[in-house]
Amino acid sequence: MVALNSHSPRKILTFTFTPMFRPISKAATTFLSLSLALSLGACVNTKKKQDGSAAYGPDGDTINGTPLPERQEGVSFFGSNVDRNRFHPVYFAFDSYTVSGNEQAKIGEVASFLRETHGTVIIAGFTDERGTPEYNRGLGERRALAVRQALIAAGASGGSIQTVSFGAEMPADPSSNESAWAKNRRAEFGAVKQ
Amino acid sequence: MKFILATILCLAGALLHAEDAPVITVTKSEKLTIAVSGISGPESAAVQKTLQNDLLMSGYFTVVPADRAQFLAGGTAASELTGKVTDHGGKTVLSKTFSGAGKAKAHAFADEIVETLTGHKGIASTKIAFVANHTGAKEIYSADADGGNVVQLTHDRVISVAPRLSADGRRLLYTGYQSGYADVYEIDLGSGSRNRIMKYPGTNSGATFSPDGGRIAVTLSKDGNTELYVTNSGGGSPHRLTRTQGVESSPTWSPDGNEIIYSYDDHGSPQLYRISAGGGEGRALSTGRNYNTEPNWSPDGKKVAFNVRESGSFQVAILDLGGGTRIVGEGQDPVWGADSRHLIFAQGGSLILLDAQTGQRNTLASGLGKISEPTWSR
Repeated sequence: MVALNSHSPRKILTFTFTPMFRPISKAATTFLSLSLALSLGACVNTKKKQDGSAAYGPDGDTINGTPLPERQEGVSFFGSNVDRNRFHPVYFAFDSYTVSGNEQAKIGEVASFLRETHGTVIIAGFTDERGTPEYNRGLGERRALAVRQALIAAGASGGSIQTVSFGAEMPADPSSNESAWAKNRRAEFGAVKQ
Repeated sequence: MKFILATILCLAGALLHAEDAPVITVTKSEKLTIAVSGISGPESAAVQKTLQNDLLMSGYFTVVPADRAQFLAGGTAASELTGKVTDHGGKTVLSKTFSGAGKAKAHAFADEIVETLTGHKGIASTKIAFVANHTGAKEIYSADADGGNVVQLTHDRVISVAPRLSADGRRLLYTGYQSGYADVYEIDLGSGSRNRIMKYPGTNSGATFSPDGGRIAVTLSKDGNTELYVTNSGGGSPHRLTRTQGVESSPTWSPDGNEIIYSYDDHGSPQLYRISAGGGEGRALSTGRNYNTEPNWSPDGKKVAFNVRESGSFQVAILDLGGGTRIVGEGQDPVWGADSRHLIFAQGGSLILLDAQTGQRNTLASGLGKISEPTWSR
């Protein structure tokens, strides 16, 4: 019951069972893990602490991908040492943090820059105004992190990518209509000048 | 009802035992009648006005002339306020001296009256804070619960948002962008000192003190995803509570500090979840709505106020943890008062006080540009 109501089935995926199911598809693994979790329940959690595998994070899971690097002192998205016009923003659908296929070319461009120059970027996530304030700050950060994950998948190093969320603040277009909202649901790249 | 019976017994008992303070619980339809005309002394006019306003705001009283009142509030208002309440038989039910600047002593007297005569905690002495943008930037302001005594706390001309007062109203956490990133700052409202207490990589936001002030729940992204953490009171030793692909936001503590309710969004349909403050699995709370954000747990632990989005506008909703959800009107970011009866929220740029029991609404603050994200001490 607990696992069914949970919103983190992948937690169960990441330890004990993973090696066993490695040849099986991810969907099947999730299904099997969930089924097992239903019967095993809490004993899965007790095993986690004993499994000190280095593949897992300090808290014993792999859900988040790559931790953010330490911030560079004195460097921030709107600072004078950051070029915010070098790359095109990535746009998102309403209430979504999925990086769509049409935006992949922009990702590829930034990933190449990071690979070739060993530079660093700050990704700033923004939302449109149609959300409550703290929800928007969370969604903006999630958008920035989704873009960061896409960059990492395209070969960039996570250690060179910092994120920040401004929620619904600083819209690209302050109007209240569909076309403005579409422009505001975005993640912008700030290339740190070297 | 048990309470009504207790009320009658207590009233009867009070006649026999003058030392026992009567406990009166008011039901929805009935209010106590009280007169505030018996105050003398150099500050009597100001105290009387504040007292009357506070007692009306509490929702438990109707203020009437002395000859028609069940209770008479009197006393002497000078540098100290010697407050006294008698019942219609002339028996003293409350006698106490209050000190403090300006309206503070009248607010304290009002809360004492509410607590003595109804058994409920008063809200008159509590503090509120909110975001307003009339200077051109979002800054944090504090005020008294009646909307008076507005003070601008930040003057940074960067984005300052998400204020959260500690239960005792002495400290305030907020999200500020001075560094260019979203960091958590703490202001000691007594001394005015400010410290940046969380500057983890990524975004630090939504920080909220536990009811005893000893811990802070917050959304951090330092580990590469937006997750819920609990830190110590200084923002250190973050302990991660959630592990998900989606976004956790707006943690709010149970009154005993053992649990946290928050909003969780995976694909555009944020839901309320409940988790142990020590960690474990988040469990979905059924609200019957498909967009649920910015929850605030009532001090009595029985209900959660939150936002739902319906046909393009935001509504304030109340989830009864033992039952269903009801909508109380348009607005954003509802927060409970100490009495678990009143809510404040932002609507159309103003700050609204709502008596969730009667539906009575008052505008507490306006004219500061757009007001948003209120918080309320307990």
